Amino acid sequence: MPSLLEMQRGFSDGVFRSAGAEFLRQLRPGRFAPEQHFQVYRNNVFESLTQALKAVYPVVERLVGAGFFRYAAAGYIPDHRPASGNLHEFGGSFAAFLAGFPPARELTYLPDVARLEWAMHESFHAGAGQALVLNHLASIPAEAHGKLRFILQPSVRLLNSDFPILRIWQVNQQDYAGNERVNLDDDGVKLLVIRRENVEIVPLSEGDYALLEAIASGGTFARAAEAAVAAQPGFDLSAVLARHIQQGTLADVALES
Amino acid sequence: MKSNRVAAPIPATAGIGLRADHYREVTESLPAAGWLEVHSENYFGDGGTPLEYLERAREHYPVSLHGVGLSIGSCDPLNREHLKKLKALISRFEPGLVSDHLSWSSVDGRYINDLLPLPYTEEALRHFTERVQQAQDFLGRELLIENPSSYLQYTHSTIPEWEFLSEVARDSGCGILLDINNLYVSATNHGYDPQQYLRAVPAEKVREMHLAGFTINRYPEGEILIDTHNAPVATEVWALYRQAVGRLGRLPTLIEWDTDLPPLQVLLDEARRADEILETDHALVA
Repeated sequence: MPSLLEMQRGFSDGVFRSAGAEFLRQLRPGRFAPEQHFQVYRNNVFESLTQALKAVYPVVERLVGAGFFRYAAAGYIPDHRPASGNLHEFGGSFAAFLAGFPPARELTYLPDVARLEWAMHESFHAGAGQALVLNHLASIPAEAHGKLRFILQPSVRLLNSDFPILRIWQVNQQDYAGNERVNLDDDGVKLLVIRRENVEIVPLSEGDYALLEAIASGGTFARAAEAAVAAQPGFDLSAVLARHIQQGTLADVALES
Repeated sequence: MKSNRVAAPIPATAGIGLRADHYREVTESLPAAGWLEVHSENYFGDGGTPLEYLERAREHYPVSLHGVGLSIGSCDPLNREHLKKLKALISRFEPGLVSDHLSWSSVDGRYINDLLPLPYTEEALRHFTERVQQAQDFLGRELLIENPSSYLQYTHSTIPEWEFLSEVARDSGCGILLDINNLYVSATNHGYDPQQYLRAVPAEKVREMHLAGFTINRYPEGEILIDTHNAPVATEVWALYRQAVGRLGRLPTLIEWDTDLPPLQVLLDEARRADEILETDHALVA
């Protein structure tokens, strides 16, 4: 008699690879042959994981079509099985998979569109924001401002793409009614994804992106400001900073310890 | 605890599943449902829209947390992260009931994302019972364990499912969530008598029932029922439910619908029908 662990390993291999003869001998013939009973689970698992990917990547699906998406999902699933019982955590490496998926090679922009959709998915489930910058800023003396470290909202994600992925995303929304033409030679974009009432995508200037990117990687305000001005000569630091405080991109601020 | 919340216990009436497509309508129109049930894992995020809606819903309804991912029957250690998130959700929402399944869904750290059947052996019984105890100890409360729909049986199973479930409840102290649709689906697929199952479960352990719709997959060799939660409760399942209410009495009963979600009113109509049966048939309890 197989142990419970042997049975579970045989079952898992059977779902994601192929069912071994030894495993199939553990299944009782019923209305159908054991393989056919087992096939129900195989179908259920691939179907539900494919649906989970479709829910996170609707624009990718629209770009490649339902049939191709299903084919890509079937290629992705066996080597990227969920690592938790929370399905919302499944599918984060789909962009990297698409980048190396030969049938999608010509769709060079596709992985970045997938990264944008994953960022939106993460933002949707991220923790609630805080608005403590002004409270805490007041108690920090002006001469110490260079050593400040700002903290971004948990729902903030930053993206940088060589392709016009915001325009691609927009024209592939269900309620989009305008001209659907996208020129792939258009400039790339730098984007902020953040959840306020809903998840929003905000295009950023070079300086703005450099500023937030430096903050995201833990840099002091002095370093972030330097990066912003270097990326965009004439960058209006105080106006952009005020906007991020007012619109809640920044959650909090603390002095470098 | 927020002062304006309704009390936590789940009443012995019909409730409905709260799903994303109905968030806005339920929290704005506050329909006459006795209680709401949600999938725990959908609220495991640190924040976000689902949790905000659940907060609003919880102000007006008792809530039950129904898990699909604890993987109690797995040979892997119980997932501590999962348990911690569930415990945090319990302390935040004060659910009247917390449940998961008589199944497994992971091995060697990877999840298979379905409610997979266990072989009903002495080894699996000891293992499952211990794991329910561990989970209950961690969470500091009773779990309900639900009978799954199944599409295959193991040659080395030696214990009927109803005995297995009853023994788990007796030895671990957990309650039972009896899914009448699953009972019907599994009994039909495997050719056993659902009445025998109903007679065998310990009535004093059953705390909740589920009702849902199934799909029939037809093949040249015959058909198999699949628990798809995408259709109205079938006539045969309503009939079995009447018998269950007659034997087990008034119990909280959920209308479960997960895919191809219909207008909210359809769920409420199904719930009303369950309420009528709870009203008329519980008196038959001997």
